[in-house]
Amino acid sequence: MMDFSLSSEQQEHVEKAREFTREWISPNAARHDRSGEFPLEICREAFKRGLMNPHVPTEYGGRAERVLDHCLVMEEMCTGCSGIATAIDGNGLSQYPIILAGTHEQKRRFLAPMTEQLMFSAYAVTEPEAGSDVSRVKTTAVKVGSDYVLNGVKWWITNGSVASWYFVLARTGESLTGFVVPADSPGIVRGPKEHNLGQHASNTVRVTLEDVKVPEAFRLGAEGDGFNIAMATFNHTRPGVAAGANGITKAALNIALSYAKRRRTFDKKLISNQGISFKIAEMMTKLDAARFLTYKAAWLFDRGEDNAREAAQAKWFAADVAMGAALDCAQILGGYGYTQEMPAEKLIRDAKIYQIYEGATEIQKMIIVAKMLRLKEVH
Amino acid sequence: MIDDLRRIAARLTDRFTRRFWGPTFRCPVCHFLIAAVDADGNALLVCPVCGVVIEIESVYGHIVPVVHDVEVSRPQPKARLHPLATHLPIGLFPFALLGAAVLFFASLVGGWGIALGTRAPVLADATLVLLVLAVAGALPTFASGLWDWNRRYRRRPYRQIAFKVAGSIVFLAVGALAIGLHASGAVFSGTTGLMELGSPLGLVLAMLYLGALAGNMLLVAVLGHVGGTLVFGR
Repeated sequence: MMDFSLSSEQQEHVEKAREFTREWISPNAARHDRSGEFPLEICREAFKRGLMNPHVPTEYGGRAERVLDHCLVMEEMCTGCSGIATAIDGNGLSQYPIILAGTHEQKRRFLAPMTEQLMFSAYAVTEPEAGSDVSRVKTTAVKVGSDYVLNGVKWWITNGSVASWYFVLARTGESLTGFVVPADSPGIVRGPKEHNLGQHASNTVRVTLEDVKVPEAFRLGAEGDGFNIAMATFNHTRPGVAAGANGITKAALNIALSYAKRRRTFDKKLISNQGISFKIAEMMTKLDAARFLTYKAAWLFDRGEDNAREAAQAKWFAADVAMGAALDCAQILGGYGYTQEMPAEKLIRDAKIYQIYEGATEIQKMIIVAKMLRLKEVH
Repeated sequence: MIDDLRRIAARLTDRFTRRFWGPTFRCPVCHFLIAAVDADGNALLVCPVCGVVIEIESVYGHIVPVVHDVEVSRPQPKARLHPLATHLPIGLFPFALLGAAVLFFASLVGGWGIALGTRAPVLADATLVLLVLAVAGALPTFASGLWDWNRRYRRRPYRQIAFKVAGSIVFLAVGALAIGLHASGAVFSGTTGLMELGSPLGLVLAMLYLGALAGNMLLVAVLGHVGGTLVFGR
């Protein structure tokens, strides 16, 4: 038997996130998009309402929220502004390597304080020459006594200038190793905010590591485990990214529907034109399809099953649907869709990154094919 | 440093806007910032700057405006009394404040008072004349503004106009207080023309007088800015 309905607990999560979105995120979306200011006040409120750090295990003060429940919350918050939602949710990506491979001491030291006060952390893996191809990472970690000395440059690090610590992937000889690096370590230099196409509220900076000493106790897993930890993290986070893209699709759909129902052209409502109404029907259908892929990827993860293919499918499909929906929304709004005073153009700029970060669309397709190569038949 | 100051100013303005105006949105035609509460029971409003008729709906906290029509025949102020009259308070008030500031420093620093000599009473009188003209000039400004609101804006409840009306009343009241303090001789000495800062009461009255002038200066500048945006948009 299959059940597509939400439990009362999940419904409660959704209502809570929706109220927060309407009250705090949407009304401030345009302002933060224009100014590029980090939404610290909104994050503070999100922290107060228990919308941050959802995955931290209960023994470290967290709620150990299921990925599926988190997807429902992310979709709501990204309907308001995916840039602000990224700032709120950015911790999850860097926390998961510790949840996955950290020792009790590492979890107590780095995760527990994040549930007690507003703090940020960042996933510092991407480098100028290593984006989708993580294996090209050039940052080095050299063992000197009981410490490692890290040197390298990490680029486009989300929450990079507000983070208290970083998950850093560095090369130890031939293989890659993960480290937790406190942001106040001597030798850490944070760059200025990058001027990206969209998600202006999200803080993206470069982080330079110059002879940064990291104790051996801050290494995650054994030497050489870094690549697998970094990749396994994506199985956890990609459904959430797909849910964020679904939020953009939902915003585009709502705006287009509200506009088309009220705007008059040729002496009738805009939605009375088949060319417009069919667009809206397609947006709704694609949103549902993307949601089901997302929920399935999250559900598989929560059951402890391999969800690499489903997470890749969800992330790729939801990102493409969001991009298309944002463009269709602008098309339905006509000339107004092209102005900065209407939310459609922001959605286009924000949606694009979903086709790029946490593995570009092409990488997702490579993952899907790689999984299929192991199959004899598809059932 | 300048960027930081700008950021602080933007944050304060934003807090003020949200506190007193509630949710806002920009006119999709002329980019003028409009308060959503200005819409009538049918969620309709007319942009005070470009005259488009907008219907608004809040979707997930996003305000989605739809343009339905445009008021092409908007009555234009014939004599343009209001913009002309604003020159009196906006043009004269800074000089009244400047005169008061010079007299304050002359009263505070002995050398300045000696340097001014017999010119101090003349400067005090000139300051009073400028102050009276600036505050009296605010009366026709206020009246012509109300006339424009009645004619051009058809008495629609715009937040900006409500703010201007309230601000104008405060300006007149505070201006009258400053005139009263100056003309009654409570602040300035009739013989030297300088402020009497020797006694605690004299100091309090002088501070009250200067505070009233400084506050009104800020107010008249903000009112002028808001009025300018109503005419020229963003």
